[in-house]
Amino acid sequence: MDYLCCRFQWLVAVGVLTLSPSVVLASDETDALRRQLVEMKQQMQSLQNAYEDKLNTLENRLSGLEEKSNKPASVNPAPSSPINSVRSDATGNSSDFQISLTGLFAAGGSSVDNDALEGLQAGAHDPNQNGFTVQNVELTIAGGVGPYFDAQANIIYQIDNEGETVVELEEAFFVTKSLPFGLQVKGGQYYTEFGRHNVLHPHNWSFVDTPIILTRFFGGDGLRSQGARVSWLAPTDWYSEVYFGIQNAKGETVTSFLNAAGEEIAGRTLLDRDVRDFNDLLYSVRWLNGFDVSDTLSMNIGLSGVWGPNASGLDTDTQIVGADMYFKWQPEYSQRGFPFVSSHTEILKRWYELGDNNDPSHDELRDTGFFTQVLWGFSPGWVAGLRAEHAYASGNTSTDPLRDNRSRLSPNLTWYPSEYSKVRLQYNRDWTQHLDEKTADSLFLQVEFSLGSHSAHKF
Amino acid sequence: MFKIKALLSALLLAISLNAEAAMRVVTSTQDLAAITSAIGGKHVQVESLTLGTRDPHYAVAKPSMIHKVYRADLLIVVGADMEVGWLPPLIQSARNPRIQLGSSGYLDTSSVIPLLGKIQGPISRNMGDVHANGNPHYWLDPRNGIRMAKAITERLSILDPENSEVFQRRFNEFEKEIKEKLMAWQERLLHLNKKPVVAYHNSFLYLANAFNFNIVDEVESKPGIAPSAASLNSLVKRIQQEQIGFLIIEPYYEKRSANFLNKQTGIKVIVLPQSVGAYPEIMTYFDLFETIVQALEKAGDS
Repeated sequence: MDYLCCRFQWLVAVGVLTLSPSVVLASDETDALRRQLVEMKQQMQSLQNAYEDKLNTLENRLSGLEEKSNKPASVNPAPSSPINSVRSDATGNSSDFQISLTGLFAAGGSSVDNDALEGLQAGAHDPNQNGFTVQNVELTIAGGVGPYFDAQANIIYQIDNEGETVVELEEAFFVTKSLPFGLQVKGGQYYTEFGRHNVLHPHNWSFVDTPIILTRFFGGDGLRSQGARVSWLAPTDWYSEVYFGIQNAKGETVTSFLNAAGEEIAGRTLLDRDVRDFNDLLYSVRWLNGFDVSDTLSMNIGLSGVWGPNASGLDTDTQIVGADMYFKWQPEYSQRGFPFVSSHTEILKRWYELGDNNDPSHDELRDTGFFTQVLWGFSPGWVAGLRAEHAYASGNTSTDPLRDNRSRLSPNLTWYPSEYSKVRLQYNRDWTQHLDEKTADSLFLQVEFSLGSHSAHKF
Repeated sequence: MFKIKALLSALLLAISLNAEAAMRVVTSTQDLAAITSAIGGKHVQVESLTLGTRDPHYAVAKPSMIHKVYRADLLIVVGADMEVGWLPPLIQSARNPRIQLGSSGYLDTSSVIPLLGKIQGPISRNMGDVHANGNPHYWLDPRNGIRMAKAITERLSILDPENSEVFQRRFNEFEKEIKEKLMAWQERLLHLNKKPVVAYHNSFLYLANAFNFNIVDEVESKPGIAPSAASLNSLVKRIQQEQIGFLIIEPYYEKRSANFLNKQTGIKVIVLPQSVGAYPEIMTYFDLFETIVQALEKAGDS
């Protein structure tokens, strides 16, 4: 169908040729001649352009054919109409297959020693030792799987404090793309959609480490497990989505629930408790709303809840609820997404039933915490951030690093030299009860690179 | 019985009225929205996901966008990597079977454009934010506007065959108007013939092609990478040596570098809207070129 387009370019060129002489009506002969000369030049240019266009088209065709001959099976989705004809590209431009590797490294120093620092930086991907930390090297593969599913896998490589390489399957899931009634199903191993931060991979964080309250409730790796969830886009005038999920409640990535046997909470060692019935699974709900307040201000408001069994007894359970709010302001004119101001706040509360009813030391642990972070992208590529956090719990918890009264203030500065890299400097000031010093000061320098496909711009 | 019949016919009427409601078209940019409105008229209801005041490459998949794409009958995008940062997650979140890649409700207009600026030879991110498949700012050539309009006309006709004649008629008018205006615009910019021009970002390649001027350099040291003091200084030398008269820049880019070059060399800085909606008064595809031509016309007065 290329000839259609070429013919079309010719038409434009011929149109310019035939119509332009009629415009020349100057009375002065020399003037008219001069103008005619200029116009002829221009006509020549139009012709040249038309030729160039034609050449371009042919070139496209040629390169398309070359690629076709190289690749026996084109992964391109077949265009359903004959319109998509000029550019026959199989170069991956319109392919949705993505593969990328991000590396996240940190160097840091703290006023406290490594043991104490590990207690403060409780996230498994947080910089947590004096010196260098390989926080996260993540391989992401994603794309369409036929007309009904998309799929994604994130495989993490990490080097632990003993220098051993650790490999972990962070996420691997499918997600449907054309169910009716605004429904979508996701299944596999995935981050539970609880709040806004839990689902983020370390390279998408705005700070070098995980908020305190999330490491307390969801452990070092965030709340993720095997299961399935369904979400529903409500037919409202604004964006409103409801998620409901069921996942396994056992393992070290579901810390507040069955966790790994032998782990401790509030001095009690967890049992090896298995799934006996539906009550031993993890249930989660989330209701997320989003809208534009104006052309320059957008926001998200969400409520989340998750409940399931915990392994402190044979019949004990845990409930966690959370509220999250996010807004982002960007002026009408902005360069590469800058400047902007965004704010992200989450507040979470947990009720943890400790020991069975007939247990003399039966108790309920109540933990609460919040974090709020503000980012200011003040110049293209430059973002200043400030995060404030506080967490506290019921009972006498002053010696427990995971339940004491704790506050942290973290200013940081991030520079994005390009869309594929960043350099971040962060200072953490900690106020904590469990350390003799009561305060800790830490400084981290973080560097990230990203290879491969263009990563998504986060709202 | 009669009541049931009345009820049924009322229901049928409601359904048929619903079916006649305008097709919902969502576009990634206001340029695409303007062209779609020009072709679809009252038979389409068009919304753009991004504002013409911002660089569409750096948009994010906002919740309001998910809501729009979820309800769309047709999604039209610029393609050529322009929306690569936000369209894939948006399409996944929107879960709309009508607008999936490869279905009739998904139109990437770059597929009908002879793209310029393809990278020959090896490609590396050392080169900055380059697009292997060609420069995506192709709507800035009115001749490409005709191609886009043609593709949109054909797609609207597939989705709404009953109104295909209307779309075709409106396309013919659109094409005729562009061709007529293009002649006039080119004539008004004759003074630019082959003139060397500096651009801030490599987004005016197609405009230069349409109006026959040469973009010889960019203020950005590499596409998408902010200029450094060294790169600005070497540009100062080049502007002086080659007597480059104009610097063209989009309204949303920083003006410090351009002002610096202006002070050092006297080069004229001309702010050009790059999209419909870049200024509130630019409402149609024609307004866009009228404003551009006016700005460039004044530049020739000196």
